Amino acid sequence: MDMLPKLYRSVIEDVIEGARHLFAEEGVEEQVLKDLKQLWETKVLQSKATEDFFRNSLHSPLFTLQLPHSLHQTLQSPTASLVIPAGRTLPKFTTAELGTSNSRANLTFSGYPIHVPAGVTLQTASGHLYKVNVPIMVTQTSGRASILQHPVQQVIQQLGQPSVPQLNPCCLQATTEKAQRMETVLQQPTILHSGTEDRKHLEKATSDTLVPPGNEHKIASEALLSQPESSQYIGLPGVVFPPQVSQTDSNVEPVVSVSASMIQNLHGGPLFKGPQGTRDQHVSDVQLHLLKNRKFECDSVKQPRNIEEPSSLPVSEKGSNSQMDLSIQVTDDDINEIIQIDGTGDTSSNDETGSTRDVDENEFLGIIDAGDLKVLEEEADSISNEDSTTNSSDNEDSQIDVVEEDPLNSGDDVSEQDMSDLFDTDNVIVCQYDKIHRSKNKWKFYLKDGIMCFGGRDYVFARAIGDAEW
Amino acid sequence: MDADSDVALDILITNVVCVFRTRCHLNLRKIALEGANVIYKRDVGKVLMKLRKPRITATIWSSGKIICTGATSEEEAKFGARRLARSLQKLGFQVIFTDFKVVNVLAVCNMPFEIRLPEFTKNNRPHASYEPELHPAVCYRIKSLRATLQIFSTGSITVTEMRPFLHRWSLGWPWDLC
Repeated sequence: MDMLPKLYRSVIEDVIEGARHLFAEEGVEEQVLKDLKQLWETKVLQSKATEDFFRNSLHSPLFTLQLPHSLHQTLQSPTASLVIPAGRTLPKFTTAELGTSNSRANLTFSGYPIHVPAGVTLQTASGHLYKVNVPIMVTQTSGRASILQHPVQQVIQQLGQPSVPQLNPCCLQATTEKAQRMETVLQQPTILHSGTEDRKHLEKATSDTLVPPGNEHKIASEALLSQPESSQYIGLPGVVFPPQVSQTDSNVEPVVSVSASMIQNLHGGPLFKGPQGTRDQHVSDVQLHLLKNRKFECDSVKQPRNIEEPSSLPVSEKGSNSQMDLSIQVTDDDINEIIQIDGTGDTSSNDETGSTRDVDENEFLGIIDAGDLKVLEEEADSISNEDSTTNSSDNEDSQIDVVEEDPLNSGDDVSEQDMSDLFDTDNVIVCQYDKIHRSKNKWKFYLKDGIMCFGGRDYVFARAIGDAEW
Repeated sequence: MDADSDVALDILITNVVCVFRTRCHLNLRKIALEGANVIYKRDVGKVLMKLRKPRITATIWSSGKIICTGATSEEEAKFGARRLARSLQKLGFQVIFTDFKVVNVLAVCNMPFEIRLPEFTKNNRPHASYEPELHPAVCYRIKSLRATLQIFSTGSITVTEMRPFLHRWSLGWPWDLC
């Protein structure tokens, strides 16, 4: 669900802001704080704990990329590979493949993002041809041609890349209505090609925005975003072309992020004020969600950083969301399309503490390990039958033994209960409990306000109910 | 009235309660934090530890006294108690397994016939006590065996006694009486 990256972002933001004052007092540079934030976001991304932001609908619409052969020569080697995020069963195309064959390479996938090298002409499912002058990353959309620029902008800010990039003509702005989008899609294919114009706009816009030193294409996107709404509108079903990074940095590939939700036009004026920008901007949840997607997708780092890389963006994006000075309105459709999986739809806790698994609960600490089923169940195997008949209890019941009976064989016959393994699990819930109830060996858990790491992913919940059998 | 001894009676021991001492003070908090499968009842000052293999539940006090319940036989009770003591030993306590005593054995049995309780009670005045308003079963106490039988009109009998292996003896009692 989309709430988690937002939450993490807000947490990071709050902490960083809270520490800013302390840092200043201590005389520590602002840059250190920024580095800290960057490091934090990177770690969150790398942990792969946040969900895939690209998916904002239950369905994974098919998105067909057709790569005409004619563009092979423009492919840059480092960017030639198509990166498919983990979890998507998509083939990986390399430059060689594209270059050698003259036939069209059809890439159909149900997921995103896809990293497309620069200079490729894309033909979307709707049939529109787009020539990409910059390496783009295509993310999945729900079929609506919506383009979000804001996230790109934010991503750029957060990444702290050096040098102001030259903006690419690929500047997208979201339209409010699907119809409009489609129209813009139809109308705008040429925009991609008009590089010069856009650059000017972008450069102009750049000066308006606050850009932390070292933001490459981030800056570009900022500029893009801050352009008046009349600037390029490119409606690609899920394709967003970020401004191109400065030519000098050949390794950096602008990322095209596509968002399935719609965002209204950015009105004139600096949309992105930079990290210290206004936070008062009211941004809807949907928008944040969208922005997050963008962030993910804007990958300023080289290569196939991997799939997870984009996921780090949302984290930083989340933080910067609040900084966005946007007057964005989202249509109701967008809101409806965002699936909520928490609250009434939350089943993760039940799954996690399902009856098929045994949950070892430390009631005292309120920490539950949901994955230590097997350890508990296997203990029987290691138990050897002790010779308990040595002291037959037939005659003992009325005797009181003052002398110690068989000294406990220190661990010889004892069942090796692997307590260390019990807690050595990846699935952890950290939460508060309302009530923990047990009947015989049936446990019921009523939990609240927690974060659980399940299968490597993080989930946040306000309420969780679980059942388990010991 | 059926004295047919050909009918095999299934006597099932459902619960064996035993106690033993560890002769050392136990830090309940440490057990609660580090032990596996423990429930800490801080308000009453005891820790419940459940074992799977002999399915038993042990109540542990800080004084070192441990009550072990849930076993299905005396041997199993002792086995489980020893295992429990070993797990405490592993936690770092200097436990000594002493004073093991079976406190209670609970068995159930089902008679193939119904029992007329008021009549039964009249015939067994000194031993049987019957208060239908309090409890639907006749409480029959055998002092010599220190056993208590609860006799229901359906024919099911529960026997609780201090001395294991003697419940069969006590079951023979009502045979004569019925």
